[in-house]
Amino acid sequence: MSEAETENDGEVRVFAQYARDFEEEADVVVVGSGPAGSVMTYELARAGHRVILVEEGPPFTPSEFRADGNISMARTLREGGLRSTTGTFMPILQAICLGGGSLVNSAMCVRPPNFIFDEWSTRFDLERTTRADLDPHFDAVSDFLGIAPTPDDVQGPRNLLFRDGCDALGIESESVARNVRGCRGSGECLTGCRSRAKQSMDISYIPEAIKLGARVLTSLQVQQVLGEEPKVRGVAGKVVEPFSGRTSHSFKIHARWVVLAAGCMATPILLQKSGDLANASGQVGRNLQFHPGAAVAGVFPEELNPVFGATQGYQSLAFLREGFKLETMWSAPAALAVRVPGLGADLVRRFGELPRTAIWDAIASTHRSLGTVKPRFRSMNPVIRWQLDPEDLKVMLRSIHVLAQIFFAAGAEKILPGVHGLPQEIHSIEEAEVLREPEVSPGSLVTASSHIFCTTRMHGDPAKGVVDETGACHGFDNLYIADTGIFPRCPSVNPMFTVMALAHRQAQALGERI
Amino acid sequence: MSVWLLLIGLGLLGFWRAWAGYPADDKPRAVLARRETAFVRAAAEVLFPPSEELPLSGAQADLPGYADGYLADLPARQRGLVRALFALFEHATLIWPGPGLGGFKRFSSLSPEQRLAVLRAWEGSRSSLRRMCLTALKAVLILGYVGHPESLAALGLAPWKIDSPKVGADFLYPPIGQGPDAILHTGRVETGGGAPLIPRVDQESA
Ligand SMILES: Cc1cc2nc3c(=O)[nH]c(=O)nc-3n(C[C@H](O)[C@H](O)[C@H](O)COP(=O)(O)OP(=O)(O)OC[C@H]3O[C@@H](n4cnc5c(N)ncnc54)[C@H](O)[C@@H]3O)c2cc1C
Ligand code: SF4
Repeated sequence: MSEAETENDGEVRVFAQYARDFEEEADVVVVGSGPAGSVMTYELARAGHRVILVEEGPPFTPSEFRADGNISMARTLREGGLRSTTGTFMPILQAICLGGGSLVNSAMCVRPPNFIFDEWSTRFDLERTTRADLDPHFDAVSDFLGIAPTPDDVQGPRNLLFRDGCDALGIESESVARNVRGCRGSGECLTGCRSRAKQSMDISYIPEAIKLGARVLTSLQVQQVLGEEPKVRGVAGKVVEPFSGRTSHSFKIHARWVVLAAGCMATPILLQKSGDLANASGQVGRNLQFHPGAAVAGVFPEELNPVFGATQGYQSLAFLREGFKLETMWSAPAALAVRVPGLGADLVRRFGELPRTAIWDAIASTHRSLGTVKPRFRSMNPVIRWQLDPEDLKVMLRSIHVLAQIFFAAGAEKILPGVHGLPQEIHSIEEAEVLREPEVSPGSLVTASSHIFCTTRMHGDPAKGVVDETGACHGFDNLYIADTGIFPRCPSVNPMFTVMALAHRQAQALGERI
Repeated sequence: MSVWLLLIGLGLLGFWRAWAGYPADDKPRAVLARRETAFVRAAAEVLFPPSEELPLSGAQADLPGYADGYLADLPARQRGLVRALFALFEHATLIWPGPGLGGFKRFSSLSPEQRLAVLRAWEGSRSSLRRMCLTALKAVLILGYVGHPESLAALGLAPWKIDSPKVGADFLYPPIGQGPDAILHTGRVETGGGAPLIPRVDQESA
């Protein structure tokens, strides 16, 4: 017997199985199989409830992963990997696949420090959302996924040099804890872990939920939440062909409880497309925040074999209070080459330096830079307006300067800061002084973001937020939201672990109500 | 009357500039039109000249083939955007001409020196929008060029040889586009992960 046929009703359905319109029924329907939706599904199935998990993307197996960065993004990311903000232009990476972001992320699992949750709880009337409140939930997720620091034997030189540079400057750094078992250091987390070491949701929570009876319906795009305040009745939408996005048959899922876990862009759009549901506060689709990332490349005198090593194995939380976090990174080598400045002979010469190059990045807590999400005309895709605030730009530039210092302390012979208007190459710490408070505009930085928050924020006051501390929509009996949209502020560290811990707590609260 | 003649003349000129006079493509393409093939080829030639660092030049790396495959994998709207990007570079010489005689010609008809100068103007532009367009163009072409197996092997960045273990989930999901009949039904469930990889030994180029 294959595991697809379990003793109970658990099943996976894929695109090829939808031949006509259909309706289903469950206790709970969860929309979106990212880290939050998967934890919810598993925990609710474990509590004995009949759960249907609906996912727009298909399940991927290793034969479908593509090493080429462009092709991989075209297949696994929303809008073919070409989603971006307007206002201040910034590419946005969001997944469309079973497992959501966990399939193509670096598996970094970081618990935000106490002060982040203290800010959340005091500023947003969230009394039971302190770090101490959430620690049991972090622990439960950690045990399930085997989250542990990255061992030195799979760090590789480009991660360990970051540690050495930080040590030389007396900056605290640490090996990154990840949801990984038996990492081989292939550095290909962002195109899918062919070694099956990364515990993405599709190979961890979801199969276990299926064993407990959960039904997983993939290639279904939910387009509407059925019902109105104070009670919803389920969801409806269309079958979607993988990659082309072509829609065909209709479906409806009737459920006593609806959990929207479609991610920070799709959930507010679903609410807006469902008659502006749950928007008595006017906050749906507003308060949008990111952690914009800026990367600096450093060229070392010796070969680093940069293909080897955990994708993002080292980090420093030392500057969180200043508004940024530092980390190492890697991705498909050719995708990283896009970071190389210049044209023609200069460009190709610099490609020759890639084997000696490490790339480290900073993600910034840009609390002042806010945006909005609205549906694009006749589409479930968003129009994302966002503006990088000048003060937040300064924080990002400061982070680039600190990265430069770490590079030179680690022995780099030059760095490529990637800021328009500044030299393309900087050869010493003295030259790096140009990075101290330069006069540049937001458009001078090459940034991108995959950390997206706050579009359906949690707030104790129903007039100021969309959901309460348990993720229940204010004013509704049976509608929940579980994704990074409920964060009241950006968390300053990588969000996956936090959204899973919150989902774990939400599942308990919802389970008790059911 | 003369206004009409002028408009017709401009229309013909526009048609000629956008569509006519492109050489026939040497290969059948899924998406790329011959004018786009000509543009990609012309851009690749100047972006990636022959060098000591890499075994292939841009002209040898079949970047039209790469761009065609990438466009075919993109959703329709994004495919349109990337094609619009190619058209923008091909025809923006009407507004920002290349240096010297004949600088107003379309990009693919300029000399290599003129093409490089045109791209440099995009790179150094004060408009972040123009710089962003150049980054986007570079992104498409660099992935094809540096990602070419021969480039990666020469740089020691070739992919790993990995035999994926069959974990429990691999017995749940069929290949994309296929039904449950295609699910793996027999075989041992293995644990994921394994020993650390060894550069060169475990890479495809080894
Ligand atoms: C490349 C990349 C690298 C990252 N690296 C890290 C990292 O190392 N550590 C970390 O903490 N975070 C990382 N992140 C961020 C992290 O993955 C996300 O914050 C996390 O996945 C968010 O979880 P979520 O459940 O809120 O939403 P998502 O993961 O976005 O999941 C939402 C799911 O809902 C589905 N969906 C959307 N709309 C619909 C609809 N209408 N109908 C049905 N289904 C729908 C989507 O297809 C998706 O699968 C990374 C993200 C990316 C993209
Ligand atoms: S570094 Fe490689 S082996 Fe380790 S988790 Fe990421 S993809 Fe898997």
